Amino acid sequence: MKFSYNWLAEHIDGLTVPPAEIGKLITMKTAECEGVEAHGAHFDHVVIAKVLTAEPIPGTHLAVTSVDTGRYGVKQVVCGAPNCRAGILTAYVPPGHLGVTTAKLRGVDSDGMLASAKELGISAEDEGIIEFAEGEPGSAIPGCTADTIVEIDNKSLTHRPDLWGHHGMAREVAAIAGRPLNPIAADLPAGEPAVEIEIRDPKLCPRFSALRFENVTVQPSPLWLQQRLESVGLNPINNIVDVTNYLMAELAQPMHAYDAAKLQGGKIIVRVAEEGEPCPALNGQTYTLDSSHLVISDAGGPVGIAGVIGGGPSAISEATTTILLEAANFHAASIRKTSTKLKLRTDASMRFEKSQDPANTVRALARAKWLLEQVSPGIRLVGGLADLYYPLPEVAPIAFDLDWMRRKLGKPDLTAAEVTGILTSIAFGVTEADGHFTVTVPSWRATKDVSLKDDLVEEVGRMIGYANLTPVPPLVPSVVPPLPPERAYLRGLRQLLTAQGYTEVYNYSFVNEAQAAELGLPIEDHVRVVNPIAQGQELLRTSLLPNIKRNINDNAREYESFRLFEIGKEIHARGRELPEEIPHLAAVSFEKHGDGVANLFELKRLAGTIVPGCTLEPVEARPFEHPFRSANVTLRNEPIGRLFELHPSMVEVGRAAVLDLDLTRVQALRTAAGKYKPLRRFPTSAFDLTVPTAERELAGTVLGFIREHSGPLTLDVRYLYDYKGDKGRSMTFRITLGAADRTLTGEEVTAIRSQLLAAVAAKYQ
Amino acid sequence: MLGRKGKLAEVSKDMGKLSPEQRGVVGKLLNAAKQTLENALTERKNAFEAAALAARLEREWVDLTAPAAGAGLGSLHPLTQIQAEIEDLFVSLGFTVLDGPEVETEFNNFDALNIPPDHPARDMQDTFWLSNGHLLRTHTSPVQVRGMKKLGPPLRMIAPGRVFRNEEVDASHEHTFYQLEGMMVDKDVSVAHLIYFMKTLLSAIFKRDVTVRLRPGYFPFVEPGFELDIQCLICNGAGCPVCKQSGWVELLPCGLVHPNVLRLGGIDPEEYSGFAFGLGLTRLVMMRYAIDDIRQLQGGDLRFLTQF
Repeated sequence: MKFSYNWLAEHIDGLTVPPAEIGKLITMKTAECEGVEAHGAHFDHVVIAKVLTAEPIPGTHLAVTSVDTGRYGVKQVVCGAPNCRAGILTAYVPPGHLGVTTAKLRGVDSDGMLASAKELGISAEDEGIIEFAEGEPGSAIPGCTADTIVEIDNKSLTHRPDLWGHHGMAREVAAIAGRPLNPIAADLPAGEPAVEIEIRDPKLCPRFSALRFENVTVQPSPLWLQQRLESVGLNPINNIVDVTNYLMAELAQPMHAYDAAKLQGGKIIVRVAEEGEPCPALNGQTYTLDSSHLVISDAGGPVGIAGVIGGGPSAISEATTTILLEAANFHAASIRKTSTKLKLRTDASMRFEKSQDPANTVRALARAKWLLEQVSPGIRLVGGLADLYYPLPEVAPIAFDLDWMRRKLGKPDLTAAEVTGILTSIAFGVTEADGHFTVTVPSWRATKDVSLKDDLVEEVGRMIGYANLTPVPPLVPSVVPPLPPERAYLRGLRQLLTAQGYTEVYNYSFVNEAQAAELGLPIEDHVRVVNPIAQGQELLRTSLLPNIKRNINDNAREYESFRLFEIGKEIHARGRELPEEIPHLAAVSFEKHGDGVANLFELKRLAGTIVPGCTLEPVEARPFEHPFRSANVTLRNEPIGRLFELHPSMVEVGRAAVLDLDLTRVQALRTAAGKYKPLRRFPTSAFDLTVPTAERELAGTVLGFIREHSGPLTLDVRYLYDYKGDKGRSMTFRITLGAADRTLTGEEVTAIRSQLLAAVAAKYQ
Repeated sequence: MLGRKGKLAEVSKDMGKLSPEQRGVVGKLLNAAKQTLENALTERKNAFEAAALAARLEREWVDLTAPAAGAGLGSLHPLTQIQAEIEDLFVSLGFTVLDGPEVETEFNNFDALNIPPDHPARDMQDTFWLSNGHLLRTHTSPVQVRGMKKLGPPLRMIAPGRVFRNEEVDASHEHTFYQLEGMMVDKDVSVAHLIYFMKTLLSAIFKRDVTVRLRPGYFPFVEPGFELDIQCLICNGAGCPVCKQSGWVELLPCGLVHPNVLRLGGIDPEEYSGFAFGLGLTRLVMMRYAIDDIRQLQGGDLRFLTQF
């Protein structure tokens, strides 16, 4: 929102704060200022000039002119405007302003520029140089002055309906600067209402006020009005529309002017739209409405979408001679809903959705009448004010004690006089006795912003200035907070992984449909984003793997080998309930060259460090896995994850193995260290055993068989190595035996060995 | 010479023929000769062994400048690192660390934080809406709601985590980033406490004394609400391009917890008050390492990630 310093100053009696400082004051006390910029500084130098002669330059559209600039003397200026001719009064810009320099155009010297209204920053008019009906050469452009524009962040005005107009901001600045605010007159002559109003749902429209005028002349606004609108980012259109926009920017009250001759019947009805009802708007679009939209309607149908945009057919045109001027108040949420649904955010809807003050409508109409009389000479009010008002429930006076305010702010020396002074300066009504306050809220703060005593803490605090509070250390009980076990576990796991040479990546929680389909993840299992604004955001990941696969291929372009991991959440739909979020680890070992076996065993080793005692159980591969290199990771027969090599079709180059662990399961299966076991006092005996097997026999299976058949005195069975020959594979194991209470005899060891040999021979030969 | 059939043994064989006096003399001489010879032998043997060892070791020369086999140390993501650092800081101040889900209810993300439906403040946070009727949390503030219910007053908690905004991504905008929510509720918590606490905390984070200032900021879940600025750490307030010549850098939103929020968290606002703040972890990481493209943080590029 842009504010004009000159405009603000008109509302404050004796403002002396210079323009350069006003932004900082507003930032510290009211709302965030995003910038302060000079506007129209050239108006101190641009003058009215009379074109004395204008001779075409042959072969061009240009003319060489001689102009009387008064202050700067007679100048030769080259001009390309179609309306440039001898005798007219126009604007002369001397070199050094608006980027104008002394130049040669087509070989002709040009000392300055004749300017259009657009070039001067008065309006968007750029079809030719500006023309004046009267004026002395050398005098300033009438009504146009240098100004300073203060830009305030809209977000910081979200809660302040009053600050969407200059008068509201002037109230703040006046309070900050300690100057009085100039009041706005709201007097209207009494008279019969010039139009009948019906409001079908007062909740959606608490107030609708209107005036009717005749003998209207539609013409361009005076330059001062045009420049002022232009300076705050509003386009001048014609005097009538400009007055409505001026008041919107001044009092934050959006208004609308209808061509009264185009309205049908003698009545304005505020009602919800019918399903599918069309409304042609003044932006040339026709909107199809439904019962969630509020419209202003005459006997013939909608003439405007309430609080958002006026209708097309009843818009002000050059032929307009009678107008109906609307100033109404609408329910904020309803306007916001409509504007969001129609994707139509207007200056009006932006203000109404902040909960505007219903008391403001009549004040705006009174001010509009005063202004219309200046810009449309001869205009006459017809009848009196039409005003249908269903007052909102009043905000109850707010009570608080001085001591409470002191404790909230942490300012024990705050006085009752300070509190009263501050609240009064921003128009709150204050009564106070013995530190007990009762505060009434002005109407423009009562619509939503201020209703609690806590809201007043902000008013007092910001006006005192937070820099004037002395920081105080809080007194808190000394406690050792519990660290949630999952956080502690994940932190340790990350440390372990980096110590093992793995680098952590973060991926998005999103995947796209193609990514999910590629890994055979059923699309319908995913929670879907209903309003993605970019490709690749449509689904929430049910697996870390799609993005991990992308990490692999991206980094394979840069590295011969790498190890990486991600710890992130899988998000699994549970109908209308919040989805289940399961932390997973995905770890990758990649080698550009080689047969990939090392990757798999590296990750198996890693799995063993993360989950000591876990085992791998080969399973049927999923389509994106190497069909012969895929296994479930299990712990005590519970599946906890998967280890596999990515199918070669999934990687652009090299081989990548992936370990995917469900960290919720891993944590659930963890066992705390129990009681210490005394160390063995008697020596153990060991012997090696070589088992001839089929080529694809699993070492794990053989080992399990040996364990099962080697008796209760077996302490350990360990795979040592294998040998692959023509007839198959033989594996060598070391079996360690021992007893807790004695040294085993040679006979005992031999007996166990013979028994085991017999069992193995029966099974594997 | 020294063996059982050696020259010295022969001499000692004849010792019996000698008189006891002679035997004593010859025995001594024999022993001395034997000792001398043995010493000489040992010495030679040691010398040969030493030479052999030296030769072997010389052959075992290794180029220690060659690279070590196996993987080196991996790297933790910079966001993980800063998060752990700040968590430790808060734990040392008695704060409990809480987790919340990435997918939240509309109620927890908005309504319970005093942002009712169709409140314009909802525009401040472009939201990803989901097919199950829920949303991706737009801030870590919903964990306040969960925390108040779980811990009860008085409480001190933080909630770091991933948050989402439905925005186009470019070098300075991301749809996925990290925040850390903090909240303290006790009797008589004041704005003056908040200022002291934030100054202490930020000095610890930036590892130097920082100057902070509060100015009004609008966030529906706090009242009063503030934007907290720190004096620019580059120019110390003199004005530079980083602080856009203002001398101050906007760092975090904070405020006293709104009574409606306390009430919805099951806490009586007449008895307790509190402050809350939201720290942008992504922003802190970018400041600390001078990262100029936010997309790097979730780009998975090891050339970037291995630098931390």
